[in-house]
Amino acid sequence: MSAPPVRRSVLGMTAQDSGAVVQLDGVRKEYGETTALDGVSLRIGAGEAVAVMGPSGCGKSTLLNMIAGLDRPTAGSVVVQGENVGELSEKQLALYRRRRIGMIFQFFNLIDDLSALDNVALAAQLTGTPARQARRRALELFEELGIADRRNAYPALLSGGERQRVAVARALMNRPALLLADEPTGALDSRSGEQVMDLLIDLNQIGQTLILVTHDEHLARRCAGRIVEFADGRVTGEHTLEPSA
Amino acid sequence: MRAVWRTARAAVRRRLLQTTVIALVTLTSTAALVVALGLVDAASAPFDKAFAQQRGPHVVASFDRAAASDAALARAARQPGVEAVAGPYPEASVALPQDAMTFGLGRQITVVGRADPDADVDRLDVWAGRWATRPGEVVLNRDRDWAPDDLGKTLTIPSGPRLTVVGFAYGLSGTADAWVTPGQADALAPRASQLLLRLTDGTSSEDRLRAGLATVTEELPADALTAARTYLGLKERVSGSARAYTPYLMAFGVLGISVSVLIIGNVVSGAVISGFRHIGVLKSIGFTPGQVVAVYLTMISVPSVLGCALGAAAGNLLARPFFDFVFSGPDAGILHGSVSIAPWVNAVALLGMPAVCVLAALAPALRAHRMSAARAISAGSAPRAGRALAVQRRLAGSPLPRPVSLGMGLPFARPGRSALTLAAVVLGAATVTFATGLATTMDRFGNAGRGAYDLTVYVGAHEDGREIRPEHGDRALHELLAGLPGAREVTARADVEVGMAGSAQEVMLEGRRGDRPRLDDMLTDGRWHRAPGEIVAGSAFLRQNGLRVGDTVRLERGGRSERVRVVGEVMQTNSRMIVGDWRTLRALAPDEDPIAYHVLLRPGADADAYARAARAADRGLSPALTGPNSVTQTVVGSAAALTTLLALVAALGVFHTVVLNTRDRRRDLGMLKSIGMTPAQVTVMKVTSMAVLGALGSLLGVPLGVAGHRMVVPRMADAVDITLPSYMTDVWQAPALAGLALAGIVIAVLGALVPARRAGRLTAAEVLRNE
Ligand SMILES: Nc1ncnc2c1ncn2[C@@H]1O[C@H](COP(=O)(O)OP(=O)(O)OP(=O)(O)O)[C@@H](O)[C@H]1O
Ligand SMILES: [Mg+2]
Repeated sequence: MSAPPVRRSVLGMTAQDSGAVVQLDGVRKEYGETTALDGVSLRIGAGEAVAVMGPSGCGKSTLLNMIAGLDRPTAGSVVVQGENVGELSEKQLALYRRRRIGMIFQFFNLIDDLSALDNVALAAQLTGTPARQARRRALELFEELGIADRRNAYPALLSGGERQRVAVARALMNRPALLLADEPTGALDSRSGEQVMDLLIDLNQIGQTLILVTHDEHLARRCAGRIVEFADGRVTGEHTLEPSA
Repeated sequence: MRAVWRTARAAVRRRLLQTTVIALVTLTSTAALVVALGLVDAASAPFDKAFAQQRGPHVVASFDRAAASDAALARAARQPGVEAVAGPYPEASVALPQDAMTFGLGRQITVVGRADPDADVDRLDVWAGRWATRPGEVVLNRDRDWAPDDLGKTLTIPSGPRLTVVGFAYGLSGTADAWVTPGQADALAPRASQLLLRLTDGTSSEDRLRAGLATVTEELPADALTAARTYLGLKERVSGSARAYTPYLMAFGVLGISVSVLIIGNVVSGAVISGFRHIGVLKSIGFTPGQVVAVYLTMISVPSVLGCALGAAAGNLLARPFFDFVFSGPDAGILHGSVSIAPWVNAVALLGMPAVCVLAALAPALRAHRMSAARAISAGSAPRAGRALAVQRRLAGSPLPRPVSLGMGLPFARPGRSALTLAAVVLGAATVTFATGLATTMDRFGNAGRGAYDLTVYVGAHEDGREIRPEHGDRALHELLAGLPGAREVTARADVEVGMAGSAQEVMLEGRRGDRPRLDDMLTDGRWHRAPGEIVAGSAFLRQNGLRVGDTVRLERGGRSERVRVVGEVMQTNSRMIVGDWRTLRALAPDEDPIAYHVLLRPGADADAYARAARAADRGLSPALTGPNSVTQTVVGSAAALTTLLALVAALGVFHTVVLNTRDRRRDLGMLKSIGMTPAQVTVMKVTSMAVLGALGSLLGVPLGVAGHRMVVPRMADAVDITLPSYMTDVWQAPALAGLALAGIVIAVLGALVPARRAGRLTAAEVLRNE
């Protein structure tokens, strides 16, 4: 059984806004001797679901971090919704992440001593939203994602799939233009993984732009409209898929 | 073993900041410990130590040479209760002419004939020149603080030879004013023989010491002993002022030791606990539990042993100026050459502090030893206790900015470590409170009466060893000084020794005449004298003579006598001093003239210029500016230095806690940044988390410091037998306390600021990686 389809109203920017959301041009990233990204150019349109695949260490997480504004490129430009991420100050980057990015990690990264609801509300509270209002918005998302009954549980008591759904709720809290997921099913059993995937598909179907890093080709095919193949910090192939039935 | 060493080295390299902090904390706290223990040790028995070092005589006895021969004395001294003897030495009492005053000698001096400064008893420190080896040479008893500039000069003894000063020697016990060869002494017509005795039971009472002497005199003719004194009187006199500091130094010492040990424990165990995940990984790749413990002990021991060694060295360096500082002044000053850091203090620091480190590391390391690899790995993310979670929930719903409420919740996430940090802050705040209170008290104490005048003009001057008397008489001088430019008030002062009915001891009566005969800020009880026949006195005087304010006593001098009433008690350490009206003084001593005039200048007047003008007006005057009070400076200075040191230790402890917290919560931090927490918000969160502990620490620490002050100050005053006016003891006012409450917060925030800003600047990608 999959989660109920998600209402559009929980999202922010959607497919109706046309044009490129992400535009990468010749992006390089070096860590000392290591070249993690070696001239990546990529364009992702609004409402797209793109899966990035490739062997371990080829630079997928680095790519995601560049787009998320968690790190700056050594060369090249990363433009998201007209903003050149590489030129933003630390503070501007933080504000950029708040407004435009939602992130999901392999290991959930929830705060242990906050309840599920407070973990999610946190994302809005950082922008100064009052606690009551933030919790109301979080509860709305919990209901949409089918985990409302777990809202007062602490992360340690949630199953892996539930934790990841809480993390998805947190990522959606500020109605991001872009949802970034780095191996979101990597730490889950196959059934929980499927559920999280279904959730992401639902979100994309109602217009959420999505970039997904995964090792699992089956999941990538189910979920994405386009697969970008990566090796040694370079894009080695790209193919568009027919939407699965 | 190789693997252990290599892993430990790699771990140290990955935790450079933490390792540096451990080294710094052990360094500063070992230094503080050495100074604290050293001071406690030196303050506890400064006289006994110096006395033991010189093998000072417990009894100094003089015998009539006509009644007991040297051989008889030597035989008599061989008693079971006598540990060591020096002498008999020929001892002559010599009257000196007036100009010998330049050598700092009195008019009547004791000259002893001694072949050797090193004896079994009374080892003299020949610190300049050499010992007298020929007739015609003399060595003077003078302490090291003096200049040896009289070396080579001649001392002419009216009834006898001319003696050349060939050396200066110092003996704590003052067994002679000068030493010559035994042959030379014989030429000075010695009437007595000096015997210096150390008794086996040397630490005992006056009675026991006298009994020990009695066994020696038993076999001698009854009238052979002409004079004898024990060392107890000397001890009483010399230890007095150092004793005043003892409670204060003890309080600081105890504070220093507890702060040091607590912080070290905190820092080291924290370092191990934060390594639990790392320990889990080591175990899962096949390290035996023993090897894991070894890795952690190595990781901690290397920086802490290094820190301890450097800290001990720094402590020894620091202690020196401290000792010079504390043991200064006319009585205790003679000790300052002989007090030093005791070897046991260094031993304790060098062995004890690393032991504390290893023990603090061992406890959590052994816990990790028993823990399964899986539990160790998840130690960072185990579900927490219910109460802490309830606090977080409350905070999450509070209207505070989220970074602030997150920060307030952080201490509850690590209750054990927070408690240790709290203890560090409490001690830091208590120290700062205690020290500032003490400094205020000492400052007011030292400055009491000082505002009353800017300079003192003494009557009489010295030039080329000759005394010059003023050309003007008393009244003329008074008017002259009042007429010089800048003068506002002139007060004449005279001292005269008077007898007091019912007391064997002479009393020093001070009389003042002029613009300011009273020093109101010295008063502790009753009122200042207003009329002839009224006096005020210090509490030591009143206590020793069984008097109270309101009692009447009779003063006598040269056949005159006056009845006076004690109308007030003043802060006065001299137990022989009373202060009365000028007319009272003149009634007892009609010819007594002032020995000094105290002058208060108009605001802005130049004291130096006034002093020059006074000297020019009469060559027989010696003006002296009222300088800063060195005793107060000592205590205020040492309090400041110790406070800074301890506050630094406490701040470092807090610093380390934040470093560890930041490390533990790297992943949370990365996530918070990924959802848009700005660097400033990260700093706010971290600083808030420590400010909470700081505020709580002040709340507990400030009252503790106030209580300490309340306990120590009266004991300090008791030790020197004075009563302090209440404005000196009640130094706490609401604004001062509020300021001090800030102290804890400041300590915590300062400690938190650097790592917090560091955490704020970490790029999120870096933080999230490899977690
Ligand atoms: N902060 C960093 N410092 C140094 N090197 C880094 C850093 N981040 C990434 N790298 C290096 O860059 C390369 C790409 O790393 P990245 O994490 O992007 O790979 P990945 O494709 O996500 O691998 P995986 O599938 O295993 O997650 C690797 O060689 C990695 O060691
Ligand atoms: Mg990756």
